[in-house]
Amino acid sequence: MRYLKEVLASRELLANLTLREIRGQYKRTVFGQLWSLVNPLATMLVYTIVFAFILRVTPPPGDPSGLNIFPVWLLCGLLPFTFFSASVQTGMGSILANAGLVQKVHFSRIVLPLSTVGSIGFNWLFEMGVLVAVLLICGAWVLPWLPFVLLMMVILAVFAAGLVLVLVIANVYFRDTQYFVGILMQIWIYMTPIIYPISLVEAQSARIGPLMGTNVTVLDIYRLNPMERFVAVFRNLLYDNRWPEVNDVLFCAVSAVAALAVGLWVFRRNEKGLAEAL
Amino acid sequence: MKVDGLSKSFRLYHERNQSLKSTIMRGRRSVHEDFWALKDISFEVPTGSTFGLIGSNGSGKSTLLKCLAKIYYPEKGTITSRGRLAALLEVGSGFHPELSGRDNVFLNGSILGMSKKEITRKFDEIVDFSGVEQFIDQPVKNYSSGMYVRLGFAIAINVDPDVLVVDEVLAVGDAEFQEKCRLKFVDFKEAGKTVILVSHSMSTVQDMCDHAAWLNHGELVTAGEATPTISAYLDSLSFGGNL
Ligand SMILES: Nc1ncnc2c1ncn2[C@@H]1O[C@H](COP(=O)(O)OP(=O)(O)O)[C@@H](O)[C@H]1O
Ligand SMILES: [Mg+2]
Repeated sequence: MRYLKEVLASRELLANLTLREIRGQYKRTVFGQLWSLVNPLATMLVYTIVFAFILRVTPPPGDPSGLNIFPVWLLCGLLPFTFFSASVQTGMGSILANAGLVQKVHFSRIVLPLSTVGSIGFNWLFEMGVLVAVLLICGAWVLPWLPFVLLMMVILAVFAAGLVLVLVIANVYFRDTQYFVGILMQIWIYMTPIIYPISLVEAQSARIGPLMGTNVTVLDIYRLNPMERFVAVFRNLLYDNRWPEVNDVLFCAVSAVAALAVGLWVFRRNEKGLAEAL
Repeated sequence: MKVDGLSKSFRLYHERNQSLKSTIMRGRRSVHEDFWALKDISFEVPTGSTFGLIGSNGSGKSTLLKCLAKIYYPEKGTITSRGRLAALLEVGSGFHPELSGRDNVFLNGSILGMSKKEITRKFDEIVDFSGVEQFIDQPVKNYSSGMYVRLGFAIAINVDPDVLVVDEVLAVGDAEFQEKCRLKFVDFKEAGKTVILVSHSMSTVQDMCDHAAWLNHGELVTAGEATPTISAYLDSLSFGGNL
């Protein structure tokens, strides 16, 4: 509790560092913030060509929105995931990137990883704004769902921050961590129904049936991935325009709180040794 | 401020290789030695004094300052201090090279614990003291190291600390700036504030400090009034005597 108070006392510094990252990011570029859109758009284009056009993946149409546009369906899951993966990968390098500061100034170190998540979250907010505009143009009445979308964005950011707090410490001691996580993220995106609908996994799981005499199915294991729930909830809200499953939302919230609790615990135990370990 | 039985050790790795592979290969034993950079240091800094730390390179002065500034945490011993502490440990520490001097004043100020209102209020004073008005909107990567120190020092003193800790950085500034600092330290003293500084120039220490401590290989040799401490230090050097 005292620790939380200390973190709260640094909120102005947190805001300033976040602004620094946001301002510094696209400095001296011609297109500025628009660059933040280029990456997801390029990925969307590639995935749409490969998976919708060549492999003919057909996700179910939005219910009740009636939308049936693969790239839009893809973006509803892809944008949250790219936020997650970018903030984990950048955030875990934040202490190393600011080694000079950590070794020479006393301040609450936790603001470094948190401000990275914050600045990437800002980009994500911008991307989601564009996505909402596209959804409205395509005829999905998404406006009433926006407050809930924002809430889910906060929960996902908390989940990402929790992981970042553990990984940033691990990365100071073992610099391999960042390469390892890079590979993990490449696998993770395919273990989450982002470019294919979960119905394909359901079908396979039903075919295989319960595993080894238990009543656990492939689907049960697949759905332990918190990102699967996040993507499902974001798609329900944005693409289908309906209330998500209560179970899914609970699963997201519990994972986020658990990740944050572990993250704070690990970070707090190790932050005093950071200046020497760098 | 009081330092009591302070000891700080570092792990010296024979082959520092921060990778998972080397850790696994090594097994559970990690190959390291403890190196005590500070050994059982105790002294007292009278409130309102200007305190000099002297000693040869590698004697642990910077390590001691970092312990005071809560950047390192000592293995043993305690440090008791009252009030706000500001530290200036290295040229340009905490500056972001791409940002302008102005942005850096705000950023650095908030890292040092000032609120935005406070910085806005003191902004003119900071810029004035640093003497870099002309370049305040230039990115600081174009500053000279003297300008870095001026701006950094100007911010640190405007944090309005009760204890100011300064490592060797002031030597980078020109004569005019050093004189400015000296006057500022006198102001600090009159306001009952404590300054702890490291310098290799014995004339500076003689000029600015009333108390001093001499460190040698991590051990405290003497601490007390500045003049006897400095002469004891100088006598110990083979070329002792010439300032
Ligand atoms: N982070 C560190 N890891 C290992 N050894 C260190 C570290 N920092 C300082 N040392 C060692 O501690 C000793 C004292 O260093 P320092 O305090 O910088 O001396 P100085 O009095 O010149 O400022 C030196 O031998 C240095 O090698
Ligand atoms: Mg030093």
